[in-house]
Amino acid sequence: MTTTVTFDPDSRVDPPLQGDEVSVLRGFLDYQRDTFRWKCSGLTQQQLAQAHGPSDMTLGGMMKHLAVVESGWFEETFLGQDQMPPFDTVDWDADRDWEWHTAKDDSPEELRALFDEAVRRADAIVDEAAAGDAGLGSLSVRADRREQTPFSLRWIIVHMIEEYARHNGHADLIREAIDGQTGE
Amino acid sequence: MERTERPLRADEATSLRGFLDYHRDTFKMKCSGLTQVQLAQPLPPSDMTLGGMMKHLAVVDQSWLEDDFLGRGLMPPFDTVDWEADRDWEWHTAKDDTPEELFALFDEGVRRSNAVLDGALKPGGVGLDGLSAQEARDGRGRFSLRWILLHLIEEYARHNGHADLIRESIDGTTGM
Repeated sequence: MTTTVTFDPDSRVDPPLQGDEVSVLRGFLDYQRDTFRWKCSGLTQQQLAQAHGPSDMTLGGMMKHLAVVESGWFEETFLGQDQMPPFDTVDWDADRDWEWHTAKDDSPEELRALFDEAVRRADAIVDEAAAGDAGLGSLSVRADRREQTPFSLRWIIVHMIEEYARHNGHADLIREAIDGQTGE
Repeated sequence: MERTERPLRADEATSLRGFLDYHRDTFKMKCSGLTQVQLAQPLPPSDMTLGGMMKHLAVVDQSWLEDDFLGRGLMPPFDTVDWEADRDWEWHTAKDDTPEELFALFDEGVRRSNAVLDGALKPGGVGLDGLSAQEARDGRGRFSLRWILLHLIEEYARHNGHADLIRESIDGTTGM
């Protein structure tokens, strides 16, 4: 299996230095998503399943994880709907890290398609909510488990930025260990 | 230590500062309880270390707010470093600093940055649309304070990702 999916880092768009809250937040989120696509670019299925010990994280697992994180926050928590397929029918009680464990069986094309679909669905939700009267102050349908109170859309988007950035930090070291590629 | 929580439903400035403080605290937790030797231990092939990262984040945090935003220059000891001779000076010299020295420098950078934020975000301050004294080197103009805060959040979060793997390789600690 030597098929790969590529992403050109020069196609990333820098977040606007000046702008309103929605465009700057979305600019940062898109930049982090594209950075992650680049960190996974050009790798085979085997390379995407390669860990950098002692951690057992892999780039393929991370891609599937970030797809479920996107769908989980925007479709499930914010809108109160089910997660997107295939996550809606997974037995999470049997394996709460199912997406990390099963990514090794997916091709690079399958992983990237799943990730892109999750981003597409999330963006459609943000497009509609951000244009509404409450904007980034819109509240999630589902509540925080600990505080039993909803999340603002603002919180969810800033959280997604930090979630991606932290995983991109993991991805930096994992990718360097796979083939020596570095870069921000 | 008690980590700052990220407020679930706050205004923009409170939210951004909450996330930034959360990541500053997370980083300190990742570095806590380690010796000078452990803080100088990389996870090859990368040559990053937690001590180097702490010194790096001190200058990054302070320089964005005091130097770029206000135009006041770098804080000591960074103001007298020959950066032309070694542009990664902070990464390379951290191994000679004790944990106490590194934490103190880090805290000082954060203290100075917070003072700038307090001034800009107080009633009547320039606010998140306020523009930096320095311009971007790539000719894109001045940085808004909004951009700087979000950049610091992504910068800390990315380094916390590095710190996750480095710390796990040092003593098996994960989480946070």
